[in-house]
Amino acid sequence: MSAVVSPIRKPLITGNKTYHQITEDLISPTEKTPTKEWVIGFVLSVAVLTYGVFCILWTIWVGIGSWNLNRTINWSWDITNFVWWIGIGHAGTLISAILLLFRQKWRTGVNRAAEAMTIFAVMCAGLFPLIHMGRIWLAMFIMPYPNTRGPLWPNFNSPLLWDVFAISTYLTVSLLFWYTGLVPDFATVRDRAKGLRRKIYNTLSFGWTGSAKHWQRWESLSLVLAGLSTPLVLSVHTIVSFDFATSVIPGWHTTIFPPYFVAGAIFSGFAMVLTLMIITRKLLHLEDYITVEHIESMNKVILLTGTIVGVAYLTELFIAWYSGYVYEQFAFFNRALGPYWWSYFGMMFCNVISPQFFWKKSWRRNITLTFFLSILVNIGMWFERFVIIATTLARDYLPSSWSLYSPSWVEIGIYIGTFGLFFTCFLIFVRVAPVVAVAEIKSILKSAGDQYVGDNATHKHHHHDADHGSSHTDHH
Amino acid sequence: MEKQIDNIWIGQKDLTRDDEFMKIADQEFAEEQVSYADMTSNLSGNRRDFLKFLGFGLGAATVAAGCDIPVKRAIPYVVKPDQIVPGVANYYASTFVNGGDYCPILVKTREGRPIKIEGNDLSPLTGGGTSARAQASVLSLYDTNRFTGPKLKDGAGWKDSSWEEIDKIVSVTLESSKNVRIVTNTVLSPTAKKAMNEFTAKYVGAKIVTYDPVSSSALLDANEKNFGARVVPSYKFDLADVIVSFNADFLGTWISPVEYAAAYAKGRKISDISKAKMSRHIQVESHMSLTGSNADNRILVKPTEQGVAIAQLYNDITGGSASTTGLNAKAKKAISKVAAELKAAQGKSLVVSASNNVTEQLMVNAINHTLGNYGNTIDMSAPSFQRQGSDTDMKMLVDEIKSGAVDVIIFNEANPVFDSAYGNILKDALAKVKNKVSFAKVNDETTDLCNVVAPTHHFLESWGDVEAKKGHYSLVQPTIAPLFKTRQAEMSLLIWSASTALDQTKEQPYYEYLKDSWKSTVFASQNEFSSFQAFWDSAVHDGIFNTNSGNAPSYTQTEIGSDITKPGTSELEISYFETVQMANGQYAGNPWLMEMADPVTRTVWGNYLAVPVNFDGVRTMVGFNDLVDGELVELTIGDKKMTLPVVQQFGQMPGTVSLALGYGRTNAGNTGNNVGVNVNDCLTLGANGPAYYNTNVSVSSKVGKEKDFSCVQYHHTIGVKGIDKESGKEINADEAALVFFDYFTGVKGFQGALTDRSVIYTSNVAELKDSVEHLQERRKHAQHLNDQQIYGGFDDMYALGHHWGMHVDLNACIGCGTCTVACMSENNVPVVGKHEVAIHHEMTWLRIDRYYYGDVENPNTIYQPMMCQHCDNAPCENVCPVNASNHSSEGLNQMAYNRCIGTRYCANNCPYKVRRFNWLDYTKADLWPANQPRLQEESVPFMADNLTRMVLNPDVTVRSRGVIEKCSFCVQRIQEGKLTAKTEGRLLSDRDVRTACQTACPTGAITFGDMNNKKGELTAKLESPLNYIALEEINVRSSVTYTMKINNRDKSFDA
Repeated sequence: MSAVVSPIRKPLITGNKTYHQITEDLISPTEKTPTKEWVIGFVLSVAVLTYGVFCILWTIWVGIGSWNLNRTINWSWDITNFVWWIGIGHAGTLISAILLLFRQKWRTGVNRAAEAMTIFAVMCAGLFPLIHMGRIWLAMFIMPYPNTRGPLWPNFNSPLLWDVFAISTYLTVSLLFWYTGLVPDFATVRDRAKGLRRKIYNTLSFGWTGSAKHWQRWESLSLVLAGLSTPLVLSVHTIVSFDFATSVIPGWHTTIFPPYFVAGAIFSGFAMVLTLMIITRKLLHLEDYITVEHIESMNKVILLTGTIVGVAYLTELFIAWYSGYVYEQFAFFNRALGPYWWSYFGMMFCNVISPQFFWKKSWRRNITLTFFLSILVNIGMWFERFVIIATTLARDYLPSSWSLYSPSWVEIGIYIGTFGLFFTCFLIFVRVAPVVAVAEIKSILKSAGDQYVGDNATHKHHHHDADHGSSHTDHH
Repeated sequence: MEKQIDNIWIGQKDLTRDDEFMKIADQEFAEEQVSYADMTSNLSGNRRDFLKFLGFGLGAATVAAGCDIPVKRAIPYVVKPDQIVPGVANYYASTFVNGGDYCPILVKTREGRPIKIEGNDLSPLTGGGTSARAQASVLSLYDTNRFTGPKLKDGAGWKDSSWEEIDKIVSVTLESSKNVRIVTNTVLSPTAKKAMNEFTAKYVGAKIVTYDPVSSSALLDANEKNFGARVVPSYKFDLADVIVSFNADFLGTWISPVEYAAAYAKGRKISDISKAKMSRHIQVESHMSLTGSNADNRILVKPTEQGVAIAQLYNDITGGSASTTGLNAKAKKAISKVAAELKAAQGKSLVVSASNNVTEQLMVNAINHTLGNYGNTIDMSAPSFQRQGSDTDMKMLVDEIKSGAVDVIIFNEANPVFDSAYGNILKDALAKVKNKVSFAKVNDETTDLCNVVAPTHHFLESWGDVEAKKGHYSLVQPTIAPLFKTRQAEMSLLIWSASTALDQTKEQPYYEYLKDSWKSTVFASQNEFSSFQAFWDSAVHDGIFNTNSGNAPSYTQTEIGSDITKPGTSELEISYFETVQMANGQYAGNPWLMEMADPVTRTVWGNYLAVPVNFDGVRTMVGFNDLVDGELVELTIGDKKMTLPVVQQFGQMPGTVSLALGYGRTNAGNTGNNVGVNVNDCLTLGANGPAYYNTNVSVSSKVGKEKDFSCVQYHHTIGVKGIDKESGKEINADEAALVFFDYFTGVKGFQGALTDRSVIYTSNVAELKDSVEHLQERRKHAQHLNDQQIYGGFDDMYALGHHWGMHVDLNACIGCGTCTVACMSENNVPVVGKHEVAIHHEMTWLRIDRYYYGDVENPNTIYQPMMCQHCDNAPCENVCPVNASNHSSEGLNQMAYNRCIGTRYCANNCPYKVRRFNWLDYTKADLWPANQPRLQEESVPFMADNLTRMVLNPDVTVRSRGVIEKCSFCVQRIQEGKLTAKTEGRLLSDRDVRTACQTACPTGAITFGDMNNKKGELTAKLESPLNYIALEEINVRSSVTYTMKINNRDKSFDA
């Protein structure tokens, strides 16, 4: 990284860390016996996951009739959860890919966890298109492969098929990206380990030796993958939005959906990263690596994307009025003031109002508020998908077919179960891999460590002038 | 420089070009070839091992896979009957008859099984139309609750008996008894009557008591007084310009609805808009009946005001001076207007009433007489026998039973313990009758109290005849050998009366008896045929035979008393009505009818208290007592209390509530038991008989919420108008009630909608020209929009060959729902049960949407049959990821069930919401048994029972769980029609392909055909300027065309 550091940048690593300390701090959680908090969390997650698996098996055994969908509302919690989880995954990709290309140093503190989150979220998301099928045992019909049924090919016009490609590509690239980043860190774990553990980590690190060639290839691969995933950040949720945008249902049939969905996805993804990181930094004592600077940066992204989403909501309302088309107009009346008004208001409040708090610097640096709002944002984004999917379907063209919906215990169980899956995976992840990218953190130590930059810097590489005058009183 | 390829080496031996290595490397296979000649070599086991593994694998797979496959037996004919060609349907003319319900039909049989009822279009009465009841009757043949043979009561249950034993027991009992009573509903069969007469001749003390579950006794009595014949006249609704009905639901349930509907629709269809003319129909009633919903104007009177309403019209028309005190002012004014209209249409008007008060019926007769309607719109020369019950006889019978005077009572498929007004009395009093015999097919409330059951055949297993109207004969012929050890009731009677006319040595004794009977009666009265065999063959083939009916008796003036219904003074009145699907409980055991949506309330599986609903003038539709759909109330009638759900009913008169009869049966088989509440014991019993209302009634406010509120339509209105509270002006109440949420006062409204939807178009006949212009403009605009888009379409392709389309005349559609049952029957549509319907899992391919429009208090109604529109730019097709939903070159939107993986995307994207998903295994088409839903706690789910499955149409796939299904335009019929035309080497004609809904329709509202056939019936209909395509502007290119609904409402009535 460039040694040129803007004087107004705050340090991203605090606590006057040496390289060895960084290794100690970040690798040791994988070496110690798990804490009580971890064990409780893990047992809870596995229990919830088990219940989710039971509900999924119940769905497959009994049929989709065990859900409360009906002839009018054929998708609801299933696809809501699908889009929601997919959206959450987006932060990881954005952080790994786009922020890498933009050389944002603060990404190094959160990218590992965010990428892991992406993968687990996509796993949760991918469940829903599968289990929402009436005949999951014929799911292979959706794959384009030469077959003895004709051969009969899938319908390449269908956005659902595009979803299959989009999401499988997304999962593959995200997995590669995440694993690539892990290789040098696994080697670090290996170097400190003994016996079987050493062998396992040796295999996982592909025999990484840390030679200059390795580092060079690793950097190149990271860049190539970043280049590959950058379009994915935009394309995946664009394609997910096509599920709705290409339909004829008023409230779905909207050209604004692709950018609106992408912004919403990044919005919810960052909120989820914040929720997770605020807990993780506390539990694993990583406050020196995931600093308030990181949180503030992410809050800025939340503020931006939340506002984009808000503009999209208002645009929709305007276009509904401006179109003069009765069905479109009614769709929005129904959303905002119909029987599901609470979900629309929930969405508006959580997604549009709540991020506006982050205009104020001290508030976006307030960890408690951030934590609270990050959860609100995710609730809001869930409401958004519910509003788009269920309430739109509930009342469309023919008043005779209007209907209402509330989830069954199975649907709720599956949704809760995906949290079980997500947290089980995440908790295992924090035990087996460094939750902050060790190698990448080290790469910015000299340019963002508090002993080098910022007000408390002891190794002054650059001479700052008067602009720091007032803060010098903080010296100790 | 060496070539690149030479630089590549594998191992050191290659690099050093070791001889041995090079030799091996030159071979195609690096290793030594297997020597087959020497089996003992080290590789010799390979092939054998392979076979062993193969054998084991195959064996294991076979054992594993073969474990649990259910064996379905199909036994081929040993000697094939020459009329049966597997795969080819046979049609037999027969007649659906159940008490007074009558419909000439064709029975479609496949491989010897009756599977579908079609109308017999040779009938001059029905013209090929059918009713929902007739359509569903084929299912009752395969009712699992049927008695499998004669039974004797054994404690609380039944024990098997034999016919010999039964005959002995009954004969001995009859010999030693004095007072024998046969209790029956209307008997339309002359030959059955002959058999009964033989019985009464043999047993001198025997008497036949006829009653109807919903009584028309007063109508018959009045006609007896005026014409000397206890009959129902022939009403000719097609000839009437002004039709006034006092509470008579003649399109749905009253006397002969199929016949009336067919005639009525003739006066309502509009073919030429420049000379648009349609009949005026005024309905005087308190609850929204099917007929009332079709009326142009409804005059709201309380049930007890019916008498004075008739009296008012009687005074206005005949100059009489009957008392009309108690009639509400609005109705009084409206009736005077009606009187003026009627006077202007002398001889071209028709007044009917369902009143069960003789005086009121005499007044109606006098009105019709004064108007000169007899001989014009009312024909007494061919009167109908479809109601014969006598309330006086019934009352006498009850008194006799109570006094213990009756020794033997025989129930001829009548169930008075449930469906007469004396049910509770009979239930106790029947204990005093020692010997009770029932002919019932299925155990019912009355049969359960009997000692002997001599179960009769289903009509599809029987021979019989019907004289529904004088001179209009039709035959009932069996289409399947009796499924159980049952015997026709007529046979039993003849055997018990030791008839000499019955030759029991014949293979089919009653058939011979019937034939002999016709020889001496119908054959003798005609001169078309000279040989009886020719006559008989023709009659059996056609199913009907008409003779001259003779002259009409003339009207005799009689004294009209003052004994009319006294207007009640109570705050609330309740009226009871018969529904299309349930009658008075006779059809409660039929799952198709149980799950058929009520045309008006659109509820299923139960009766719901209809309460009035009104617009509060601000933004809410307020139900009576603030009740909303599905809330439970406590209903108190006299001293009977019951808890039941309510349904808000537009058009229900304020101060009244109404409730359907026929529900709450306790002994109606698995389907009908304990569905809804029974109110047959809450009728008002007058001196003359029951009246279908009660004034001693109260309705509580909400006491709970119905667990499974089964209503297939939640939103009822499309543009009702109400008066704005502030400005006093008429506003669109629907749009005012749009908003659910009120910032200050909380929850409000939500029943509303934006209503300018391109779903329905309506017009008053007087404004027709403007409305058509408006419609054309809207269509032009939509088409203009559609022209702007880039989708090219495949119109060129559809212009070749066939291009199937449908036309639905909303002016002919009366909403009776026959087509919906016909569709279920034709297409193996599963019945899903109350809970499933309550969560909107109903599977109907064809539904009839019902919307109210116009005055919010007293609206008009539009019925819109809605099925797959077979869009040529179908939104469901392009979203299916696996092409399960696709388009045929003939414009059909097809479903490949086997390909469907059940993403339901198509159902979401269907603008008409006609796609149905198999949420559970409704048909036992799945291998997993765990997910079959049960109806009413049956041991096996509906359609999983082998007996019930006999009704399935073998041409239509039974769908498994997890797939989408929907209307196919009866593609199996299209295929059959195309093949027929092809084998006959001719062009396909309209008659070759007719969909199930089309043939079932009593009014001819549905026309199906080839849009490319320029000479076809469909093409002609597609030219009407009234036509429109629902949601035309979304460019899905629907193949179904509707017509604008025209009403003939006189708005001055509302003032």
